[in-house]
Amino acid sequence: MERYVDGEAEAFEFLYRRVSPNLMGYLLRLTRNRERAEDLLQITFSKIHRARGSFLKGAPVLPWILAIARRSFLDERRSAQVRTEDLSPDGSLPEQQNEERPLPAELSDALDVALGRLPENYREAIVLTKITGLSVAEAASVLGATETAVKLRVHRGYTQLRKELEQYSRTP
Amino acid sequence: MSMHPPDPLADLPWPKPEAPSAAVSAKICGACTKNLCAKRGMSALSRLLLCLVVSGLVASFGYWFGVRHHRAELGLRLGVYAAVAWGLVQAAVLYVGFAPRRGLLGSRAVRVAVAVFLPLLFLGYLSYAAWSYVPFDQFSQGARASHAFSCGLIALGFGAIVGGSVLLAWRGTNPLTPGLSGTLAGFVGGVGGALAVGIGCPSHEAWHLWTAHGLIVLALGLMGFVAGRRLLSP
Repeated sequence: MERYVDGEAEAFEFLYRRVSPNLMGYLLRLTRNRERAEDLLQITFSKIHRARGSFLKGAPVLPWILAIARRSFLDERRSAQVRTEDLSPDGSLPEQQNEERPLPAELSDALDVALGRLPENYREAIVLTKITGLSVAEAASVLGATETAVKLRVHRGYTQLRKELEQYSRTP
Repeated sequence: MSMHPPDPLADLPWPKPEAPSAAVSAKICGACTKNLCAKRGMSALSRLLLCLVVSGLVASFGYWFGVRHHRAELGLRLGVYAAVAWGLVQAAVLYVGFAPRRGLLGSRAVRVAVAVFLPLLFLGYLSYAAWSYVPFDQFSQGARASHAFSCGLIALGFGAIVGGSVLLAWRGTNPLTPGLSGTLAGFVGGVGGALAVGIGCPSHEAWHLWTAHGLIVLALGLMGFVAGRRLLSP
Protein backbone atom coordinates (compact mmCIF):
# COMPACT_ATOMS: atom_id res chain seq x y z
CA MET A 1 0.00 0.00 0.00
CA GLU A 2 2.80 2.40 0.86
CA ARG A 3 4.57 1.75 -2.47
CA TYR A 4 1.26 2.43 -4.22
CA VAL A 5 0.92 5.70 -2.28
CA ASP A 6 4.44 6.55 -3.50
CA GLY A 7 3.21 6.19 -7.09
CA GLU A 8 4.27 2.65 -8.14
CA ALA A 9 1.77 1.20 -10.62
CA GLU A 10 3.06 -2.37 -10.10
CA ALA A 11 2.39 -1.99 -6.38
CA PHE A 12 -1.25 -1.17 -7.13
CA GLU A 13 -1.59 -4.23 -9.37
CA PHE A 14 -0.09 -6.43 -6.66
CA LEU A 15 -2.41 -4.91 -4.05
CA TYR A 16 -5.39 -5.39 -6.37
CA ARG A 17 -4.56 -9.08 -6.96
CA ARG A 18 -4.21 -9.64 -3.21
CA VAL A 19 -7.27 -7.73 -2.04
CA SER A 20 -9.88 -7.90 -4.81
CA PRO A 21 -11.02 -11.56 -4.31
CA ASN A 22 -11.68 -10.94 -0.60
CA LEU A 23 -13.36 -7.63 -1.32
CA MET A 24 -15.46 -9.11 -4.12
CA GLY A 25 -16.50 -12.02 -1.88
CA TYR A 26 -17.54 -9.60 0.86
CA LEU A 27 -19.49 -7.35 -1.52
CA LEU A 28 -21.15 -10.33 -3.22
CA ARG A 29 -22.46 -11.59 0.12
CA LEU A 30 -23.63 -8.10 1.08
CA THR A 31 -25.43 -7.33 -2.16
CA ARG A 32 -26.29 -10.91 -3.31
CA ASN A 33 -25.99 -9.56 -6.86
CA ARG A 34 -22.85 -9.87 -8.99
CA GLU A 35 -23.43 -6.70 -11.05
CA ARG A 36 -24.02 -4.55 -7.98
CA ALA A 37 -21.01 -6.09 -6.28
CA GLU A 38 -18.80 -5.26 -9.28
CA ASP A 39 -20.14 -1.70 -9.41
CA LEU A 40 -19.39 -1.30 -5.71
CA LEU A 41 -15.93 -2.77 -6.23
CA GLN A 42 -15.21 -0.05 -8.79
CA ILE A 43 -16.61 2.65 -6.50
CA THR A 44 -14.51 1.34 -3.60
CA PHE A 45 -11.29 1.32 -5.61
CA SER A 46 -11.95 4.82 -6.95
CA LYS A 47 -12.39 6.01 -3.33
CA ILE A 48 -9.20 4.20 -2.29
CA HIS A 49 -7.36 5.83 -5.19
CA ARG A 50 -8.56 9.31 -4.22
CA ALA A 51 -7.90 8.78 -0.51
CA ARG A 52 -4.56 6.98 -0.83
CA GLY A 53 -2.72 10.05 0.47
CA SER A 54 -4.63 9.87 3.75
CA PHE A 55 -3.77 6.21 4.39
CA LEU A 56 -1.99 6.11 7.74
CA LYS A 57 1.45 4.56 7.33
CA GLY A 58 1.63 1.13 8.97
CA ALA A 59 -2.16 0.68 9.39
CA PRO A 60 -3.66 -2.73 8.44
CA VAL A 61 -4.72 -2.48 4.79
CA LEU A 62 -7.57 -5.00 4.47
CA PRO A 63 -9.77 -3.64 7.32
CA TRP A 64 -9.19 -0.11 5.95
CA ILE A 65 -10.33 -1.17 2.48
CA LEU A 66 -13.26 -3.26 3.76
CA ALA A 67 -14.48 -0.34 5.88
CA ILE A 68 -14.48 1.88 2.77
CA ALA A 69 -16.35 -0.85 0.84
CA ARG A 70 -18.92 -1.18 3.62
CA ARG A 71 -19.47 2.59 3.71
CA SER A 72 -19.89 2.60 -0.09
CA PHE A 73 -22.46 -0.22 0.19
CA LEU A 74 -24.43 1.62 2.89
CA ASP A 75 -24.36 4.88 0.89
CA GLU A 76 -25.50 3.07 -2.26
CA ARG A 77 -28.31 1.32 -0.40
CA ARG A 78 -29.45 4.60 1.18
CA SER A 79 -29.63 6.30 -2.21
CA ALA A 80 -31.41 3.25 -3.69
CA GLN A 81 -34.10 3.52 -1.01
CA VAL A 82 -35.07 7.02 -2.13
CA ARG A 83 -35.10 6.07 -5.83
CA THR A 84 -38.56 5.82 -7.39
CA GLU A 85 -39.92 2.33 -8.09
CA ASP A 86 -41.15 1.49 -11.60
CA LEU A 87 -44.75 0.37 -11.71
CA SER A 88 -45.73 -2.78 -13.61
CA PRO A 89 -47.90 -2.29 -16.77
CA ASP A 90 -51.13 -2.64 -14.80
CA GLY A 91 -50.07 0.21 -12.50
CA SER A 92 -49.28 -1.86 -9.41
CA LEU A 93 -45.98 -2.12 -7.54
CA PRO A 94 -43.82 -5.11 -8.54
CA GLU A 95 -44.11 -8.10 -6.21
CA GLN A 96 -41.30 -8.69 -3.74
CA GLN A 97 -39.54 -12.00 -4.38
CA ASN A 98 -39.08 -13.30 -0.89
CA GLU A 99 -40.70 -16.71 -1.04
CA GLU A 100 -38.81 -19.47 0.78
CA ARG A 101 -37.35 -21.83 -1.79
CA PRO A 102 -35.98 -25.24 -0.82
CA LEU A 103 -32.22 -25.37 -0.38
CA PRO A 104 -30.10 -26.85 -3.21
CA ALA A 105 -28.91 -30.45 -2.91
CA GLU A 106 -25.20 -29.60 -2.77
CA LEU A 107 -24.09 -28.52 0.72
CA SER A 108 -21.77 -25.73 -0.51
CA ASP A 109 -24.58 -24.22 -2.63
CA ALA A 110 -27.04 -24.64 0.23
CA LEU A 111 -24.63 -22.86 2.57
CA ASP A 112 -24.41 -19.93 0.18
CA VAL A 113 -28.22 -19.68 0.00
CA ALA A 114 -28.63 -20.10 3.77
CA LEU A 115 -25.98 -17.45 4.34
CA GLY A 116 -28.01 -15.08 2.17
CA ARG A 117 -31.08 -15.70 4.34
CA LEU A 118 -29.35 -14.69 7.57
CA PRO A 119 -30.06 -11.26 9.11
CA GLU A 120 -27.56 -8.78 7.70
CA ASN A 121 -25.55 -8.19 10.88
CA TYR A 122 -25.04 -11.94 11.43
CA ARG A 123 -24.17 -12.46 7.78
CA GLU A 124 -21.62 -9.65 7.74
CA ALA A 125 -19.90 -10.92 10.88
CA ILE A 126 -19.70 -14.47 9.48
CA VAL A 127 -18.50 -13.33 6.04
CA LEU A 128 -15.76 -11.16 7.53
CA THR A 129 -14.44 -13.79 9.91
CA LYS A 130 -15.04 -17.07 8.01
CA ILE A 131 -14.76 -16.08 4.35
CA THR A 132 -12.66 -12.92 4.26
CA GLY A 133 -10.40 -14.29 6.98
CA LEU A 134 -10.27 -11.28 9.31
CA SER A 135 -9.59 -11.70 13.01
CA VAL A 136 -12.44 -10.89 15.40
CA ALA A 137 -10.69 -7.62 16.36
CA GLU A 138 -10.31 -6.59 12.70
CA ALA A 139 -13.93 -7.52 11.91
CA ALA A 140 -15.04 -5.48 14.94
CA SER A 141 -13.15 -2.45 13.63
CA VAL A 142 -14.72 -2.80 10.16
CA LEU A 143 -18.22 -3.16 11.62
CA GLY A 144 -17.74 -0.44 14.25
CA ALA A 145 -18.73 -2.88 16.99
CA THR A 146 -17.04 -4.41 20.02
CA GLU A 147 -15.26 -7.76 19.74
CA THR A 148 -17.84 -9.33 22.07
CA ALA A 149 -20.66 -8.16 19.82
CA VAL A 150 -18.95 -9.66 16.76
CA LYS A 151 -18.40 -13.00 18.54
CA LEU A 152 -22.05 -13.02 19.56
CA ARG A 153 -23.23 -12.26 16.01
CA VAL A 154 -21.01 -15.01 14.58
CA HIS A 155 -22.27 -17.48 17.17
CA ARG A 156 -25.95 -16.64 16.62
CA GLY A 157 -25.53 -16.66 12.85
CA TYR A 158 -23.75 -20.00 13.01
CA THR A 159 -26.53 -21.48 15.18
CA GLN A 160 -29.11 -20.26 12.69
CA LEU A 161 -27.09 -21.66 9.78
CA ARG A 162 -26.84 -25.07 11.44
CA LYS A 163 -30.59 -25.09 12.01
CA GLU A 164 -31.23 -24.29 8.32
CA LEU A 165 -28.73 -26.93 7.18
CA GLU A 166 -29.86 -29.60 9.65
CA GLN A 167 -31.14 -31.89 6.88
CA TYR A 168 -27.59 -32.17 5.45
CA SER A 169 -26.17 -33.53 8.70
CA ARG A 170 -28.74 -36.35 8.57
CA THR A 171 -27.90 -37.39 5.02
CA PRO A 172 -25.07 -39.95 4.98
CA MET B 1 -20.06 -50.02 19.98
CA SER B 2 -21.98 -47.96 17.41
CA MET B 3 -20.10 -45.86 14.87
CA HIS B 4 -21.63 -42.43 14.13
CA PRO B 5 -21.19 -41.17 10.55
CA PRO B 6 -19.14 -37.93 10.45
CA ASP B 7 -21.30 -34.81 10.63
CA PRO B 8 -20.89 -32.90 7.31
CA LEU B 9 -21.69 -29.65 9.14
CA ALA B 10 -18.78 -29.98 11.55
CA ASP B 11 -16.61 -28.08 9.09
CA LEU B 12 -18.78 -26.08 6.73
CA PRO B 13 -17.51 -25.66 3.15
CA TRP B 14 -17.35 -21.86 3.29
CA PRO B 15 -17.40 -20.22 -0.15
CA LYS B 16 -13.95 -19.22 -1.38
CA PRO B 17 -13.26 -15.55 -2.18
CA GLU B 18 -13.86 -15.02 -5.88
CA ALA B 19 -12.13 -12.74 -8.32
CA PRO B 20 -14.08 -10.06 -10.18
CA SER B 21 -14.49 -10.42 -13.94
CA ALA B 22 -11.47 -9.66 -16.15
CA ALA B 23 -13.22 -6.66 -17.76
CA VAL B 24 -13.91 -5.04 -14.39
CA SER B 25 -10.37 -5.75 -13.18
CA ALA B 26 -8.90 -4.21 -16.33
CA LYS B 27 -11.12 -1.14 -15.93
CA ILE B 28 -10.12 -0.63 -12.27
CA CYS B 29 -6.40 -1.21 -12.87
CA GLY B 30 -6.46 1.11 -15.87
CA ALA B 31 -8.21 3.89 -13.94
CA CYS B 32 -6.05 3.58 -10.82
CA THR B 33 -2.66 3.37 -12.54
CA LYS B 34 -3.21 6.04 -15.20
CA ASN B 35 -0.84 8.96 -14.52
CA LEU B 36 -0.19 7.54 -11.06
CA CYS B 37 2.00 9.80 -8.96
CA ALA B 38 3.11 9.93 -5.32
CA LYS B 39 0.43 11.33 -3.03
CA ARG B 40 1.23 11.92 0.61
CA GLY B 41 -1.10 13.79 2.92
CA MET B 42 0.04 16.04 5.75
CA SER B 43 1.85 14.36 8.62
CA ALA B 44 -0.05 13.70 11.84
CA LEU B 45 2.05 16.35 13.62
CA SER B 46 1.25 19.03 11.02
CA ARG B 47 -2.45 18.23 11.24
CA LEU B 48 -2.35 18.38 15.03
CA LEU B 49 -0.49 21.72 15.00
CA LEU B 50 -2.93 23.15 12.45
CA CYS B 51 -5.87 22.33 14.73
CA LEU B 52 -4.15 23.92 17.74
CA VAL B 53 -3.28 27.05 15.75
CA VAL B 54 -6.95 27.50 14.72
CA SER B 55 -7.99 27.00 18.35
CA GLY B 56 -5.35 29.57 19.44
CA LEU B 57 -6.59 32.08 16.85
CA VAL B 58 -10.16 31.72 18.07
CA ALA B 59 -9.01 32.18 21.70
CA SER B 60 -7.03 35.30 20.62
CA PHE B 61 -10.19 36.70 19.10
CA GLY B 62 -11.97 36.12 22.43
CA TYR B 63 -9.14 37.97 24.20
CA TRP B 64 -9.32 40.88 21.73
CA PHE B 65 -13.09 41.03 22.23
CA GLY B 66 -12.64 41.10 26.04
CA VAL B 67 -10.06 43.94 25.85
CA ARG B 68 -12.26 45.90 23.48
CA HIS B 69 -15.23 45.62 25.82
CA HIS B 70 -13.14 46.63 28.86
CA ARG B 71 -13.37 43.35 30.67
CA ALA B 72 -11.64 43.40 34.09
CA GLU B 73 -7.93 42.53 33.85
CA LEU B 74 -8.23 39.75 36.46
CA GLY B 75 -11.10 38.10 34.55
CA LEU B 76 -9.15 38.28 31.28
CA ARG B 77 -6.06 36.81 32.87
CA LEU B 78 -8.01 33.94 34.44
CA GLY B 79 -9.71 33.28 31.09
CA VAL B 80 -6.34 33.10 29.32
CA TYR B 81 -4.93 30.71 31.96
CA ALA B 82 -7.99 28.47 31.56
CA ALA B 83 -7.66 28.59 27.76
CA VAL B 84 -3.98 27.57 27.94
CA ALA B 85 -4.76 24.69 30.36
CA TRP B 86 -7.65 23.46 28.19
CA GLY B 87 -5.45 23.90 25.11
CA LEU B 88 -3.18 21.23 26.59
CA VAL B 89 -6.22 19.01 27.19
CA GLN B 90 -7.31 19.59 23.58
CA ALA B 91 -3.84 18.62 22.33
CA ALA B 92 -3.97 15.42 24.42
CA VAL B 93 -7.44 14.53 23.09
CA LEU B 94 -6.33 15.17 19.50
CA TYR B 95 -3.26 13.01 20.06
CA VAL B 96 -5.27 10.12 21.54
CA GLY B 97 -8.19 10.43 19.14
CA PHE B 98 -6.56 11.26 15.84
CA ALA B 99 -2.76 10.82 15.73
CA PRO B 100 -1.83 7.22 14.89
CA ARG B 101 0.97 5.26 16.55
CA ARG B 102 2.46 2.81 14.00
CA GLY B 103 -0.64 3.27 11.85
CA LEU B 104 -3.11 2.56 14.66
CA LEU B 105 -5.26 5.01 16.55
CA GLY B 106 -5.69 4.82 20.31
CA SER B 107 -7.88 1.90 21.35
CA ARG B 108 -11.61 2.31 20.87
CA ALA B 109 -12.27 1.91 24.61
CA VAL B 110 -9.83 4.72 25.48
CA ARG B 111 -11.40 7.02 22.90
CA VAL B 112 -14.92 6.24 24.12
CA ALA B 113 -13.75 6.99 27.69
CA VAL B 114 -12.31 10.33 26.50
CA ALA B 115 -15.57 11.12 24.67
CA VAL B 116 -17.52 10.50 27.88
CA PHE B 117 -15.20 12.20 30.37
CA LEU B 118 -14.14 15.29 28.37
CA PRO B 119 -17.58 16.99 28.43
CA LEU B 120 -18.14 15.89 32.04
CA LEU B 121 -14.78 17.36 33.03
CA PHE B 122 -15.59 20.58 31.21
CA LEU B 123 -19.02 20.87 32.84
CA GLY B 124 -17.32 20.25 36.20
CA TYR B 125 -14.84 23.04 35.44
CA LEU B 126 -17.70 25.40 34.53
CA SER B 127 -19.45 24.59 37.83
CA TYR B 128 -16.20 25.36 39.65
CA ALA B 129 -15.76 28.63 37.75
CA ALA B 130 -19.31 29.79 38.52
CA TRP B 131 -19.13 32.42 41.25
CA SER B 132 -22.77 33.43 41.43
CA TYR B 133 -26.12 31.73 41.20
CA VAL B 134 -29.60 33.02 40.36
CA PRO B 135 -32.75 30.84 40.23
CA PHE B 136 -33.60 29.52 36.76
CA ASP B 137 -36.85 31.53 36.46
CA GLN B 138 -34.84 34.77 36.87
CA PHE B 139 -32.13 33.61 34.51
CA SER B 140 -34.57 32.55 31.79
CA GLN B 141 -36.06 36.03 31.31
CA GLY B 142 -34.93 39.47 30.21
CA ALA B 143 -31.35 40.63 29.77
CA ARG B 144 -29.77 37.52 31.32
CA ALA B 145 -31.52 35.22 28.83
CA SER B 146 -30.65 37.36 25.80
CA HIS B 147 -27.01 37.59 26.97
CA ALA B 148 -26.87 33.79 27.33
CA PHE B 149 -28.44 33.37 23.89
CA SER B 150 -25.95 35.67 22.16
CA CYS B 151 -23.03 34.12 24.09
CA GLY B 152 -24.23 30.63 23.11
CA LEU B 153 -24.51 31.59 19.44
CA ILE B 154 -20.99 33.04 19.37
CA ALA B 155 -19.61 30.00 21.21
CA LEU B 156 -21.39 27.76 18.71
CA GLY B 157 -19.84 29.67 15.80
CA PHE B 158 -16.34 29.60 17.32
CA GLY B 159 -16.76 25.92 18.21
CA ALA B 160 -17.85 25.13 14.66
CA ILE B 161 -14.69 26.83 13.35
CA VAL B 162 -12.40 24.85 15.67
CA GLY B 163 -14.30 21.53 15.27
CA GLY B 164 -14.56 22.06 11.51
CA SER B 165 -10.81 22.64 11.30
CA VAL B 166 -10.22 19.33 13.11
CA LEU B 167 -12.57 17.48 10.74
CA LEU B 168 -11.02 19.09 7.66
CA ALA B 169 -7.45 18.53 8.85
CA TRP B 170 -8.14 14.81 9.35
CA ARG B 171 -10.57 14.48 6.45
CA GLY B 172 -10.71 11.01 4.87
CA THR B 173 -8.24 9.47 7.32
CA ASN B 174 -10.52 7.24 9.37
CA PRO B 175 -12.99 4.92 7.64
CA LEU B 176 -13.05 2.59 10.67
CA THR B 177 -14.46 4.80 13.44
CA PRO B 178 -15.58 8.06 11.78
CA GLY B 179 -18.50 8.66 14.16
CA LEU B 180 -16.43 8.35 17.31
CA SER B 181 -13.61 10.51 15.93
CA GLY B 182 -16.18 13.05 14.71
CA THR B 183 -17.67 13.23 18.22
CA LEU B 184 -14.22 13.89 19.66
CA ALA B 185 -13.64 16.60 17.04
CA GLY B 186 -16.96 18.18 18.05
CA PHE B 187 -16.03 18.13 21.74
CA VAL B 188 -12.60 19.65 21.02
CA GLY B 189 -14.31 22.36 18.96
CA GLY B 190 -16.95 22.93 21.64
CA VAL B 191 -14.35 23.35 24.38
CA GLY B 192 -12.31 25.69 22.13
CA GLY B 193 -15.37 27.81 21.28
CA ALA B 194 -16.69 27.95 24.85
CA LEU B 195 -13.30 29.02 26.21
CA ALA B 196 -12.78 31.66 23.53
CA VAL B 197 -16.13 33.19 24.45
CA GLY B 198 -15.32 32.68 28.15
CA ILE B 199 -12.25 34.96 27.87
CA GLY B 200 -14.40 37.82 26.64
CA CYS B 201 -17.58 37.06 28.61
CA PRO B 202 -17.93 38.85 31.97
CA SER B 203 -20.61 36.53 33.38
CA HIS B 204 -19.78 34.04 36.14
CA GLU B 205 -23.37 33.03 36.73
CA ALA B 206 -23.90 29.26 36.96
CA TRP B 207 -26.91 28.91 34.63
CA HIS B 208 -25.21 31.14 32.06
CA LEU B 209 -22.06 29.03 32.07
CA TRP B 210 -23.91 25.69 31.93
CA THR B 211 -26.23 26.68 29.10
CA ALA B 212 -24.32 29.22 26.97
CA HIS B 213 -20.88 27.65 27.42
CA GLY B 214 -21.53 24.04 28.48
CA LEU B 215 -24.45 22.86 26.36
CA ILE B 216 -22.56 24.06 23.29
CA VAL B 217 -19.93 21.38 23.90
CA LEU B 218 -22.59 18.65 23.93
CA ALA B 219 -24.34 20.09 20.86
CA LEU B 220 -21.08 20.24 18.93
CA GLY B 221 -20.25 16.67 19.97
CA LEU B 222 -23.51 15.55 18.38
CA MET B 223 -22.88 17.62 15.26
CA GLY B 224 -19.35 16.21 15.10
CA PHE B 225 -20.75 12.67 15.19
CA VAL B 226 -22.94 13.37 12.15
CA ALA B 227 -20.32 15.37 10.23
CA GLY B 228 -17.53 12.92 11.10
CA ARG B 229 -19.35 10.01 9.47
CA ARG B 230 -19.41 12.04 6.24
CA LEU B 231 -16.00 13.71 6.35
CA LEU B 232 -13.63 11.33 8.10
CA SER B 233 -14.48 8.31 5.97
CA PRO B 234 -12.97 8.47 2.44
